[in-house]
Amino acid sequence: MSRTGSTSTLPSDPPRRWQAWFVPFVLIALTGLLLADPWPHVSPVGPAAVVPASATDMTPVRRPILKPETVVAGMTYRCSECHNLFPSPVETDRPLTQHRAIVLEHGINARCFNCHNRENRDAFADDRGGPIPFDQPPLLCAKCHGPVYRDWAHGVHGRTNGYWNPKLGPMERRKCVECHDPHNPAFKPMRPAPGPNTLRMGDRRSEAEGRSETKNPLLIYRQRLPGGDGDEAKPQRHRR
Amino acid sequence: MSEQDNQLSGPGLTRRGFFRKSAVAATGAAAIAAAVSPLRKMSPDDIPTLERFLQKHYKEMTPAEMQTALDRIAREVEHRFAVRPSLGDVKPMVGVEFVYALNISRCIGCRRCVHACVKENNLSRAPEIQYIRVLKMEKGSIDLETSDHHYDPPVVPEHDSYYMPVQCHQCAKPPCVKVCPVEATWQEPDGITVIDYDWCIGCRYCEAACPYWARRFNFAQPELAAKDLNPDMSYLSNRPRPKGVMEKCTFCLHRTRVGKLPACVEVCPTGSRKFGNVLDAASEVSYILRHKRVFVLKEEVGTLPRFFYYFDERGSRYHESVESDRATESGGGGE
Repeated sequence: MSRTGSTSTLPSDPPRRWQAWFVPFVLIALTGLLLADPWPHVSPVGPAAVVPASATDMTPVRRPILKPETVVAGMTYRCSECHNLFPSPVETDRPLTQHRAIVLEHGINARCFNCHNRENRDAFADDRGGPIPFDQPPLLCAKCHGPVYRDWAHGVHGRTNGYWNPKLGPMERRKCVECHDPHNPAFKPMRPAPGPNTLRMGDRRSEAEGRSETKNPLLIYRQRLPGGDGDEAKPQRHRR
Repeated sequence: MSEQDNQLSGPGLTRRGFFRKSAVAATGAAAIAAAVSPLRKMSPDDIPTLERFLQKHYKEMTPAEMQTALDRIAREVEHRFAVRPSLGDVKPMVGVEFVYALNISRCIGCRRCVHACVKENNLSRAPEIQYIRVLKMEKGSIDLETSDHHYDPPVVPEHDSYYMPVQCHQCAKPPCVKVCPVEATWQEPDGITVIDYDWCIGCRYCEAACPYWARRFNFAQPELAAKDLNPDMSYLSNRPRPKGVMEKCTFCLHRTRVGKLPACVEVCPTGSRKFGNVLDAASEVSYILRHKRVFVLKEEVGTLPRFFYYFDERGSRYHESVESDRATESGGGGE
């Protein structure tokens, strides 16, 4: 460092130093402020959703009685024990005095003896009037629902539970009546389990709070279109 | 002036220089303190143990080393949940390739599969992580962009919709495996793409690469109650995941590799979900692939999924009431 050099720079030095001295103090103050955590982090994670136990219930929707019996005053009776005493009409399409709880909503199949055996009341009726045991309802359903029975027999229609490999454990093919009520066979609608509430799929609550669009990556393109959100920007080709 | 200071306080340190250096040092120290201040909130569990840090890749571990790793994980689970898990490393079966089939003409969108999966696989409840996404689709269209996964009607199915659950398709040409920079994810001989959670660095390339949006990232520490923990665990599937790693559907390999059906198949009330060994000609899925009308999602991206959607010949849905069918028929006849 030469003397001439230092003297020549000296006049310009003090203002520069004056500008610089407060910077460390500002930084220290800022550090102190940040350590005090004045704006604490608020997690976007909501509380865990309440999932009803039915949402993970693995039992079939119906528990059919494969051996129908009536219990009166502690005594158990089979169907035939009443029906032998009180003979049925030759044909009937609705319960007259008994079995009023049964609502028959099986399409055009509206007659009791299409399925129930008139001769043997402890069995179903096959195509020639012979008996089908109560515990083998698929054989009865197969009378009309051939393709579905074929699929069911191959495990393609209906539930399979247990093991995918029958050599390693029991593979249980659920029977028709474990999902369908034979008197009203349409599969019953059910309450859906709670929807996604994940960080990326968006928040259920946003809809309840009146926000127009829930977070849905698949719908982002709609927001960019001039119509704004929702149905207006929906491509016309999907309209009916 | 500076020369005078030098003479008074010794060489190399002026009064002004001392203040300046002290200020710099104090600022630096304070900045470091501020930078590391989040560590105040860190729990000791967040620090990986040396054992975990030095653990080898799944494929490079000897059986003894795997046993050590399993013991460590079981200890950690017991420490956290007070439940001793039955933790194992189930290997793929020989001569088995898993395939999934889903009947979209039967699915009613009840989301039972979603929650059975969450329960079986010890998925995080808060933040929520779900492997299965059930898309509500417009009838007559298969455009995913018009789908909705937030539907919440009083009852399903809704009349003008059908439902398409999407989960990991276990592709034969998985793009997620190709992009992984550390080979933390790979395809097993039985077709299941798995992740070594202890090897994953959380870069999320695989999440971006997946055309089915099937991979999930643990943005936060996965939380689930000890009473909800499924103690039947496997190294590659449902053991509790750490924060900052990817996870995905593994077809419940801790169940399926011992012959059981996955949880989503077990719970499906309609029987829309089918699972089995495609190499076995007598299996349900083989029958479906040979006899049903089958399609795969996003066939054009060339990922060769092992997840097939199929539908029934009649094309309509049997669970709709007979009245609505009649109404459609009479309406069609009147036109």
